[in-house]
Amino acid sequence: MIKWKEPRTEKIPLTQKWALIYQIWNRNFLQFKRFWVISLLWILIEPLFILGAIGYGLGSFVSTINGVSYIVFFFPALICTSSMFISYFVSTYDNFSKLNFQKLFTSQMTTAIEPQEIVLGEILWATTKGAMSAVGVSVIASFFGLVDSWRIFPALGVIVISCLFFSCFGLLITTFVKNYDQIIYPSSGLIIPMSLFSGTYFPIENLPFGLKYFAYIFPLTHSVRMVRGLLSTGFDYWMILNLAYLLILIYILIKWCSIRLANKILN
Amino acid sequence: MKTIVEAKGIVKRYGEKNVVDGIDFEVSRGEIFGLLGPNGAGKSSVMKMMYGASAISEGELFVIGLNAKKNFREIKSRVGVIPQEDGLDEEFTVFENLMLYAGYQLIDKNVARPRAEDLLRLMHLEDHRDKFIPELSGGLRRRLTIARGMINNPEVLFLDEPTAGLDPDIRLWVWEFLEKIRAEMGTVVLTTHYMEEAERLCDRVAILENGKILALGAPAQLILSKIGAEVVELKVEQKDLGYYLERLKENNFRYQVVGSSINVHLDEGQNNQDVLSLVFSRQVTIRRPNLNDVFLRLAGHNLRGEPV
Repeated sequence: MIKWKEPRTEKIPLTQKWALIYQIWNRNFLQFKRFWVISLLWILIEPLFILGAIGYGLGSFVSTINGVSYIVFFFPALICTSSMFISYFVSTYDNFSKLNFQKLFTSQMTTAIEPQEIVLGEILWATTKGAMSAVGVSVIASFFGLVDSWRIFPALGVIVISCLFFSCFGLLITTFVKNYDQIIYPSSGLIIPMSLFSGTYFPIENLPFGLKYFAYIFPLTHSVRMVRGLLSTGFDYWMILNLAYLLILIYILIKWCSIRLANKILN
Repeated sequence: MKTIVEAKGIVKRYGEKNVVDGIDFEVSRGEIFGLLGPNGAGKSSVMKMMYGASAISEGELFVIGLNAKKNFREIKSRVGVIPQEDGLDEEFTVFENLMLYAGYQLIDKNVARPRAEDLLRLMHLEDHRDKFIPELSGGLRRRLTIARGMINNPEVLFLDEPTAGLDPDIRLWVWEFLEKIRAEMGTVVLTTHYMEEAERLCDRVAILENGKILALGAPAQLILSKIGAEVVELKVEQKDLGYYLERLKENNFRYQVVGSSINVHLDEGQNNQDVLSLVFSRQVTIRRPNLNDVFLRLAGHNLRGEPV
C-alpha cells in the first residue's frame, strides 16, 4: 500500500526545528572530524585523477571545444559530477547502514527528533560532503590557473543546490532498497549514465537524434549548464529555469523522503 | 498528577491485523508497571505507542498528561526510553553517546556534561568512559542504554525487555537498579516475557495475549485470585487421565491439564495430601503458584510459547 502522507506531524518553532536538524548534521560532522584527513583525501583524490586523465590527458587531443580549450570546457562538469557522486553515495550507503543495521534513526527518534529532521539533517550532511569536494578541487585547480575569477563563488552555490538534489535522491533510493546490492541499480542505471550524457564530457548538442532534449530530464544537465555558464560561457536567463527545475525537484524529493522515512521508522 | 499513563481502547493495526486490540490501563506515579506476555503478544507495540515510536491506530493515549497522538514530541523529550534494540552509535565512545543524545534532546552542553558524568558513575561505567561501542559487552551496552535514556532527567522510564539476553548477574543488577530508581525518581514501565522479572519487580502487571489484556493487577493478587495458594503438579499416564480428573472434580478441586500432567490449584485451607490420596502419580511437585500458572490458566499455553 502506498502512503502519501506522513503518519503524524507536530509543529514546533522553526528555531527549535533547525536546532534539531543541526544535531543530526553535527553527529555526522563529528564522525567526519575524527578521520578528516583520510575522508578529505578520499573525496578529493578521485576527481583530481579524472581531471588529470580526462581533462589534461585525453583533452590534449582536442584542440578546442565550443571555442575554449577542453580543460576549460570540462572543469565545470567535473566539479558537478564528482560532487554528485559523493553526495549520492554518502546519502545511500551511509544512510542504508544507519537505517537498517545500526538502527540509528530509530534510536534518534526516541528523543525530541522526528523523521523530518533526520531527513533534512542527513541531506544537508551529504550535501556538505559533496560541496567540500567541489571546494577542495576548485582550490587545487586554482593552482593550475583553472579558477581565477570571483564567479567560482556563485558556481559553488549552484554545486550546493545540485548536491542537495542528489542527496535527496540518494536518501529516497535508500528507503526503497532491501540490501546494499540493490543500490547498484540506480547507480549504474541512472547516476553513471547521467555523469556521461549531461553535457559533461561533450556538449549535449552532439547527442544523436532528439536525445539532446531527452538529456534535459537529467538534473545534472542543468547543474552543468549553470556552472559552465558562470565559469566560462557566461550568464544567460535560461539559467533561472535550470535553477527552478532543480529547486522544484528538491522540494518534491524532500517531501517524498520525509513520508517514506517516517513510514519506515514509525510504522 | 497521579496518573502517568492512561490508555483507553488503544489499537495498533498493521494491514488488517490488530496487534494491539483495544486495551485499557492506567499507570500511577511511583509504581513499576509491567506488560507481561509471550513474544508477539503486542507488548512492544503498546510500549512503542507510549513512548512515541509508533503511531496510534485507534483509541486515546495520555502520557504524563499529554495526548500521545498530538504532543509526542514533548512526551519524547520528557520521558526516558530504553528500547530493546539499543541503537547505540557505534562510531562514538560511551561518553560521546551520552552527549549526542543530550544534543538530540536540545540540552545545553554545560548542563549535559556533568549529568553525563553522573550517569556514568551511577551505571558504573566510569572505567569505560572513552571506549568505543563495539568494545562493550552486552551488559555494558545495556547499562549505557539505560544511562542514555536518563540523560534528560525523565519523569518516567520505559524499558522494552530490559534484561532479555543478559547474563543472570547483570539481570540481577538491573533489577536492583530499577528498584532503586523507583524509590528515587518514580515511575517505571517495562515489558517482559520473564515471569520472575514481573513477579519480583512489578507492583502491577497487565498480562497480554494476542493484543488483549487477559488480567491486570498486582502479581501476588493475580496469583491468589486466579490460581490459589499452592500448585500440585502430578504426572500421570494418559489412559488414567480421565479417571483422575473425574475424582478431582467430585472433590471440588480446581485443576488444569498441561500435557501429560495435571496441575491442581489449591486454595487456602485445601490440603495437598487429599490430592495425593485421589491421584496416583510417580512424579509429584508441590510448589508455590506463579504468574506462569496464571498465564497458563488464562491463555491455555505457556508464557515462553513452548507447546504444552
